[in-house]
Amino acid sequence: MFPNGATAIRLENVTQRFRVIQERPDTLRELFSKFFRHQSSYHDFEAVKNASFEVPQGQMLGLIGRNGSGKSTLLKIVAGVYRPTAGRVEVTGTVAPLIELGAGFHHELTGRENILLNGLLMGYSKREMLEREQRIIDFAEIGDFIDAPVKQYSSGMYMRLAFSVATEVDPDILLIDEILAVGDAPFQQKCFERIQNFRRAGKTILFVSHAMNQVEEHCDRAILIDKGSIMADGPAHEVVEVYRSSMAMEVVGAH
Amino acid sequence: MMELVRGTYQYRELIWALALKELKIRYKRSVLGFMWALLNPAFMMLVLTLVFSTIMRFAIPHYAIFLLSVLLPWTFFSQSLSYAVEAIVANGDLIKKVAVPKLVFPMAALVSNLINLFLSLIPLALLVLGMRHPFYWTWLYLPVPLLALTIFTLGLTFFFAAANVYYRDVSHILQVVLSAWFYVTPIIYSLDFIPEKYRWIFKLNPIIYVINGFRLSVYYGMLPKASSVAASFVCAFVSLFIGYAIFRKYQNDFVFYV
Repeated sequence: MFPNGATAIRLENVTQRFRVIQERPDTLRELFSKFFRHQSSYHDFEAVKNASFEVPQGQMLGLIGRNGSGKSTLLKIVAGVYRPTAGRVEVTGTVAPLIELGAGFHHELTGRENILLNGLLMGYSKREMLEREQRIIDFAEIGDFIDAPVKQYSSGMYMRLAFSVATEVDPDILLIDEILAVGDAPFQQKCFERIQNFRRAGKTILFVSHAMNQVEEHCDRAILIDKGSIMADGPAHEVVEVYRSSMAMEVVGAH
Repeated sequence: MMELVRGTYQYRELIWALALKELKIRYKRSVLGFMWALLNPAFMMLVLTLVFSTIMRFAIPHYAIFLLSVLLPWTFFSQSLSYAVEAIVANGDLIKKVAVPKLVFPMAALVSNLINLFLSLIPLALLVLGMRHPFYWTWLYLPVPLLALTIFTLGLTFFFAAANVYYRDVSHILQVVLSAWFYVTPIIYSLDFIPEKYRWIFKLNPIIYVINGFRLSVYYGMLPKASSVAASFVCAFVSLFIGYAIFRKYQNDFVFYV
């Protein structure tokens, strides 16, 4: 679909600022009292600071860093959930966000109904989803439960269906946010096999994980983020080393 | 405005699926299911007919039809707003995780109520036949006021859906506004009951032009004056322009406030 070496994702000086409101004036009464006291009760917090990087088509890029470092925010910027405060974002191709699996599921609807609704939410047409329905059900190994409301599903079935919907739609870019930490070993294995297939098909993958061995094993490249800034960018095993030693330093320093 | 038309067309399948979801969930776990969409207005009509033909007798013949011809569109209007005011906030989890155009949520709230309105026209038609009220050819004119009402309602759904994201009081204020609005609108009464010198005040209410066509064509078998039709569409488009402009201005920030 793309010439080799084309850029799938390009971020230029992207900053994402959140307004953290200590006492958010949720109601008009609070608003009036704030207004008359002339207080500002918020501060701005930059979850991502001036981040720039490019991801060539076909690369699997790992995003690593501590909790709250801004990895998920970056993923959501690429997914289009957030419009960044400053900077430019260019994404070429369709994106499947596996940010929180089953985000679009409704508990009262059946698995089949949820497949359609979820696909429509991701911007696919009804026809495309109906064509893929059987393959989604097969991969998820849901069986007869497909026509039962998803609230009756075990958490494993729920995850399998959600992963299956998100990946069966054949996106150009896959965003994966720590979702593979859940599910039993055989299912994890199946997920990784599917991710390998995506790689072989030349898809671009952004992979957020705390499991450094997964990042080392699967990613071509990794970016280390700390407090919203990019600290290191390079081959996965090197960046993982940097991260490991910085963590070790901190543990030593704390004692 | 072209953007709104294009977005609606592009996401028509999603809007429809969300609207159906709304209805499915409402009637889930009830034995009669979707039938309630018909039975609800039917029972309401039965009660109203009994009350107004035996207990409270007005000098208006076939009062139930007189009332329902505008009460049903009004119910569509007020229910759509009540749904839509929560549309963005209730889907906050989704908005935070999936890049989905925000306009689909208030739209779906409106469409699900539009389906209900269509279904409630069936028992109304049966009532007209049952009471031996003339079945006027002017029923064919109904799509025109329906269109004006839909556009008018859509504008307000956009406004209230957006406003409620920032101030949750809006959903409470809306209920107060709707119940006051109900009584200042000639629904249970006719504008003729109002003394001539006060009538101009009632005519400031935009929705009277919008719902006027319903009562005229169903109850009186007449068509509204051209000036009234024009006024209804002016009100409808003013509502849509303002409502959508506000929604559009703030929609990218919803994700930070839900």
